[in-house]
Amino acid sequence: MGIWTVLWEKWVEFRRDFYKITMAALIAPLMYLVVFGLGIQTTSHGEPYLNFLIPGVVALTTMNGSFNAIAQNLNVQRLYEKAFDQVMISPTPLWQFIVGQIVGGSLRGLYAGGMIILLTLPIGTGLVFNGFSLLIMFLNGAVFSAVGVVASFLAKNHADVPRFSNYVIMPMAYLCNTFFSTEQMPHGIREVIGLLPLSQSSGMLRSIASGGPWNAAGILILLAYLAVLMGISFWFIYKKQTI
Amino acid sequence: MEGAGADTRIEIRNLTKKFDNFTAVDSLNLTIETGEFFGLLGPNGAGKTTTIGMLSTLLLPTAGEIYIDGEKLTRRRTDLKRKLSVITQEYSMRQDMTMDEIMEYQGRLYNMPRKEIHARTEELLSFCGLLEFRKRTVRKLSGGMKRKLMVCRALLTGPEILLLDEPTAGMDALSRRQMWNLLHKLNDQNLTILLTTHYIEEAQSLCGRVAMMNGGRLEEVNTPAGFIESLGAFALDEMTPEGLKSRYFHRREDAMACLSELHGQFALRDTTLEDVFMERSGKHLT
Repeated sequence: MGIWTVLWEKWVEFRRDFYKITMAALIAPLMYLVVFGLGIQTTSHGEPYLNFLIPGVVALTTMNGSFNAIAQNLNVQRLYEKAFDQVMISPTPLWQFIVGQIVGGSLRGLYAGGMIILLTLPIGTGLVFNGFSLLIMFLNGAVFSAVGVVASFLAKNHADVPRFSNYVIMPMAYLCNTFFSTEQMPHGIREVIGLLPLSQSSGMLRSIASGGPWNAAGILILLAYLAVLMGISFWFIYKKQTI
Repeated sequence: MEGAGADTRIEIRNLTKKFDNFTAVDSLNLTIETGEFFGLLGPNGAGKTTTIGMLSTLLLPTAGEIYIDGEKLTRRRTDLKRKLSVITQEYSMRQDMTMDEIMEYQGRLYNMPRKEIHARTEELLSFCGLLEFRKRTVRKLSGGMKRKLMVCRALLTGPEILLLDEPTAGMDALSRRQMWNLLHKLNDQNLTILLTTHYIEEAQSLCGRVAMMNGGRLEEVNTPAGFIESLGAFALDEMTPEGLKSRYFHRREDAMACLSELHGQFALRDTTLEDVFMERSGKHLT
């Protein structure tokens, strides 16, 4: 099964670069928590701002962890190492390779987000992360792994993925219901940003964390994104020049 | 069966590849029989690597089709892709994986049982003298070792068709000879091999038939001996003030007669496939 092959490859990579991967995934989110949460102490909706911030940072860590695990790696394999050629030549069904990348990327995102949850536990915020939280983190990771696959296929050179990250991922990290609520945005922009996958994930994680009701329609939105991005990935790998 | 005869392993029909306005391969028609050792020769830009790229499904044809055992090859035909192994011109490997991991990844991509992967890896790495380096990452291997590892990887899956794009590039003379012997043995076991190479003596030594390509077009398919015969089996090299000039003769007597009229430095020798290649390439350059 091609999906297991990709997961094995990701596991080999993870095992070898465990410390580098872990540190790279944690540094930025921990800085956000220290600076915006502990440093600039304030409140949001009558609650400590940290309670608002942590679910958002968990969501964006999941996004970054998944996107970074796939986009640059696949881009290097495709354009520089040419290792991707062997996958294309092999009898592994190419859709399984894509699904493997997405699942592998989600697990990396889940790992990074899970580490943030563990590291913030001693703060004693009383936030709740349960099985639904993990499902949302996994789905969020899957969406951004798929974004990573598409970005790597679109890339014409090594600099294109960091550029894509600058134009797409970084703005989302700041705007999508992570550091501040999208309710504060002007009408029109608020609705558009609210529909983005990270906004949905942040919103759902925050609602679950605070013990309030959460809108399960967000899961359908994430699934819709995932379906579209997987469709684009399949189109690329079967119908387009990929080398 | 959609393709040609029962012994036909690869059939290429009107295969064309365009990159924007540049035609890299132009209406190529070719048939390769089961167990054949077939060479693709031509100067840089002839379309050899592009042809291999389409045969390995890395590149999508602009027009035309490829048939493997009578079945049309596409990226979705995993059953046909299972029959193929490819050694690409570039080192197509993860730089951060060890030799063992490269082999295991390949075996897994071909859905081989773990036990078989490990046994075959041991056997192949040992055969190529790489066993002691099995824990070394690709990044730390020499060019020749990487080439050998690519051969091991290609053979791991027991292919029926081997596509070789400059397989001995970067190898020293000894390793190259070892590779030739290995390819000979594999071909003796009825493995169909398609080879592109810049070493003309490699094609002459290994290939039963050779296709000459130029500018994306197929010029002629013949045996190495047939090509040499068409040019003349005897070559007379004469050193002139303008450089080395070669003349070709079908009969030794004709060459000897010409020799008697020459003054200065000259040599009579057997014509090689390289002479054929140089003559044809040279004609296109002038």
